[in-house]
Amino acid sequence: MDNFWDMKAKEIMQSFSEDKNYEEWKKNVLNPWNNKTGYKDKRRENSSSMPVKELYTSGDLPKNDQTGIGNPGEYPFTRGIYPNMYRGRNWTMRMFSGFGTPDDTNRRLKYLIENGETGLSIAFDMPTLYGYDCDSKRAEGEVGKCGVNVSSLHDMERIFDGIDLSKVSTSMTINAPAAILTAMYFVLAEEKGTPLEKISGTVQADILKEYIAQKEWMYPPEAHLRLIRDMLVYSTEHVPKWNYISVSGYHIREAGSSAVQELAFTLADGFYYIEMGINAGLNVDDFAPRTSFFFNSSINFFEEIAKFRAARRIWATVLKEKYHAKDPKSMALKFHTQTSGYTLTWQQPLNNIVRTTIEAMAAVLGGTQSLHTNSYDEAWALPTDDAVKVALRTQQIIAEETGITDVIDPLGGSYYLERLTCEMEVEAYKYFSEIEKMGGILSAVKSGYLQKEIADTSYKKQIRIEKGDDVIVGVNKYVDKDEKPINTLKISDVAEKGQIRSLEYIRKKRDESRVSRSLEKLHKAMEDDSVNLMPYIMECVRNYCTLEEISNVGREIFGEWKEPKIY
Amino acid sequence: MNTDILVQGILKGDYRAIARSISIIENSGYEARKDIISRIYPYGKAKIVGITGPPGVGKSTAIGTLAPLLATHGRVAVLAIDPASPFSGGAILGNRIRMQAALSKKGIYMRSTSNRLYNGGLSEYTWDIVKVLEAAGNDFIILETVGSGQADVDIMNIADITCVFLAPGLGDEIQAIKSGIMEIGDIFVINKIDREGSYLAIKDIRESLNMSNKLETPVIGVNSLTGENYDEVVKSILEIRPKNPREKYYKKLKMVVMEAIYNEYSDYVDRIEFEDNPLNEDPYTMAEQILVRDNKNFGEVKDR
Amino acid sequence: MNGKSQKYTEAPVKVLLAKPAIDGHDRGIFVLAKAFRDAGMDVIYAGLLPTPEEVVDTAINEDVDVIALSLLNGAHMTAFRNVMEILRKRGVNDIAVVGGGIIPDEDKPALEKMGITGNFGPGTPLSVIIDHIKFRAREVRKLRENEY
Repeated sequence: MDNFWDMKAKEIMQSFSEDKNYEEWKKNVLNPWNNKTGYKDKRRENSSSMPVKELYTSGDLPKNDQTGIGNPGEYPFTRGIYPNMYRGRNWTMRMFSGFGTPDDTNRRLKYLIENGETGLSIAFDMPTLYGYDCDSKRAEGEVGKCGVNVSSLHDMERIFDGIDLSKVSTSMTINAPAAILTAMYFVLAEEKGTPLEKISGTVQADILKEYIAQKEWMYPPEAHLRLIRDMLVYSTEHVPKWNYISVSGYHIREAGSSAVQELAFTLADGFYYIEMGINAGLNVDDFAPRTSFFFNSSINFFEEIAKFRAARRIWATVLKEKYHAKDPKSMALKFHTQTSGYTLTWQQPLNNIVRTTIEAMAAVLGGTQSLHTNSYDEAWALPTDDAVKVALRTQQIIAEETGITDVIDPLGGSYYLERLTCEMEVEAYKYFSEIEKMGGILSAVKSGYLQKEIADTSYKKQIRIEKGDDVIVGVNKYVDKDEKPINTLKISDVAEKGQIRSLEYIRKKRDESRVSRSLEKLHKAMEDDSVNLMPYIMECVRNYCTLEEISNVGREIFGEWKEPKIY
Repeated sequence: MNTDILVQGILKGDYRAIARSISIIENSGYEARKDIISRIYPYGKAKIVGITGPPGVGKSTAIGTLAPLLATHGRVAVLAIDPASPFSGGAILGNRIRMQAALSKKGIYMRSTSNRLYNGGLSEYTWDIVKVLEAAGNDFIILETVGSGQADVDIMNIADITCVFLAPGLGDEIQAIKSGIMEIGDIFVINKIDREGSYLAIKDIRESLNMSNKLETPVIGVNSLTGENYDEVVKSILEIRPKNPREKYYKKLKMVVMEAIYNEYSDYVDRIEFEDNPLNEDPYTMAEQILVRDNKNFGEVKDR
Repeated sequence: MNGKSQKYTEAPVKVLLAKPAIDGHDRGIFVLAKAFRDAGMDVIYAGLLPTPEEVVDTAINEDVDVIALSLLNGAHMTAFRNVMEILRKRGVNDIAVVGGGIIPDEDKPALEKMGITGNFGPGTPLSVIIDHIKFRAREVRKLRENEY
């Protein structure tokens, strides 16, 4: 019995026909040429192990290409979600930043705003991402290392000191404790006198991909999913410009997946969140438009562009046909892109500027809504101000010098690209079907199936590099004998000590009876699955309960989680 | 002399001595193994609880829940076996992850080991390792098999009680698996009862047991994450008396003795220069000639 | 697998892979786990977020030859040192410790001084890491042969 996904895959495959022109050209022109010159071609494939032909022709286009490709701003949005795309407005240049103490990050944000950045994006350190305070034993040596440390509302106040929340859109890359950080941002807006209707931004909050790839969680999946549901419902009612989730493939890719796996697993997560909203009693068109995505742009240029286009087409098709959305905004997949961190090399770091440029171009040609470009020194450490500036300038050059933005979807209609878009779609539908047969994405995640798929792909890739089948310039080819170290950003342990002192100060200053009362109330609320926890978490935040104190309430009730064995 | 120190350590329950002895048993060959086993053999008596079942039923998580509960009735140790890669002989021993936290809270000793391509769901030295863990004063030894389903039958030769783990949603696989393991189970545990189809799975197992005249065999539905119904599993483990313990014990011993003899002779046969003896006899006759020539006693045993 | 003459030094190397801090970047560790297995080793992966105490407990219980520590989050100086100190406190001197991850050159001498060797950065060929682990394992096993 074919399920919905099998049928979609079949539909696309049936639109392919035999390419007689190509076959004849190969027989009459190419093969004789290769025989004469003694050239032996080898099989080539992309990151998704899909074979790549030497030539694509008009015969590769699907038979019903007009409905599949369509026009910009129209269903199924293959060519972009807006009618005018970058003719109207460039993508948002959103540089992910955050390190050290909240004051360090505040300075970096202001520096970026002065240099023309149009959206803020906050990176948190490991203790914050796992819901530990800076003075926790587990946090030792990690405070401020990979991002900014936030242990209480006080730290949030410092990060946004002097920044008008109604004028910026803020993206927060936080997942397990997403509800707590979101609550902090909402309370911060209250304090600054900015109405909740006026603030805009995105919180990542995509917990499924944490179990799949990034591995930052606090509780078992069901508990986190409940918190996401509460955020979804709360922001749908009170914070209309708040994107309660950013369904992320970035980390799935960084964890070693192929482009197709990134595409399929991310969209499968997205479908789950849509079903969650519907099951919570919301109308799909009331919340689906605020679902946004976050993809990786890696180095295989056309494969990446095809991935972005396939993602839009699949999302539109499924939202319409399976979830019966009526509003085109629900069907339009908007996404943020970050260039690949994995492709950055520690060797010959300046080469990374070139890699990032190519990846950024793929994102733009794929129709991204916002973009983060990595800095060339990030295989070494967090980036220096100078390196960040080059990365930002890269985007500005693409936007304002190259002419790439003059035409909407300039690669649309390319035989290769259109064919590849269709093929990636088919592969994704096959994965959706596989996942459904395993009892849905949650079972697939809990059993470790997706994790194993990714680890297998990643190992295969590494072996290809070791054998020299895949070239990495400066690493396994064109290697320099002597690598000179570059200047990198040093984060001293001063950040850790400063944060601990600051937290001590807050602990002394706050009203302990209010702290324990609000935590108790949260505890009670958590025990009842039908209660929305957002107001309770916000109350804890207002009383300066720390991140870990609030997280621990959940740890007591829901317990902790260990990853499944995948080998 | 050095073995003395190790053996003293084992008898005191010292983890480093236990751990090192197991490595020696696995790695250092017959003499070293014999040296250890012969000294600790008289000590210890544990109830050996085998945990088997197909991949993905949650055996490791289950042990993480079960072991601490059993630990309230006596000292517990865990031995988990993972399959080796047929290509390299290496193995990824991943069973710890899901039980680590629960075990280390109670200070329960746990060891992972590769089957080193040994068939039957255990490793070649499982019996010896169990002996070490018994001598170390454990009252319960939980043995997790490789988990290849119906092939894991060796467990019944070593375990006093075999718990077969199954989970709903295994689909057609369950029929195939069942045919191999219905006979060996003393307790059947259906894990993940929060999942759809668990009622049917339990019913299905009960019916199969009925058909094989094992009606009184417990079938327990559990949830390893919440610990639901684990008290029943523990109760069954404590209550069930191993069937024909003496017979089983001698069978076990015979098995090890046979392996020891096999080892002894395989080494010997390796050393025989076949070039000197033209292969004009059939292999059976040759084997008998070798045995009669080199070990007359063996011939006598054979005649009985 | 018989033979009285089998030597301890020749049996498969047993290695524990661990990230002894709060660091979820596990792509590399899975690649290493499979590469070590394919090089004939017995590999134990400690799972995510083990404390340094858990790493040492596991190493002792499993009697590994080598602990391979990896961190990509900048906490190596603190976390690796904690592991070494716990090993020392428990009197364990016959388990080798090797390191890897994003480790700046200037940290390497201090790590070497603690007894952590290798300290491999991104882009190191797997074969180099495997050879080093096997080398350290041989050292350790020679030491152990004299002990017991």
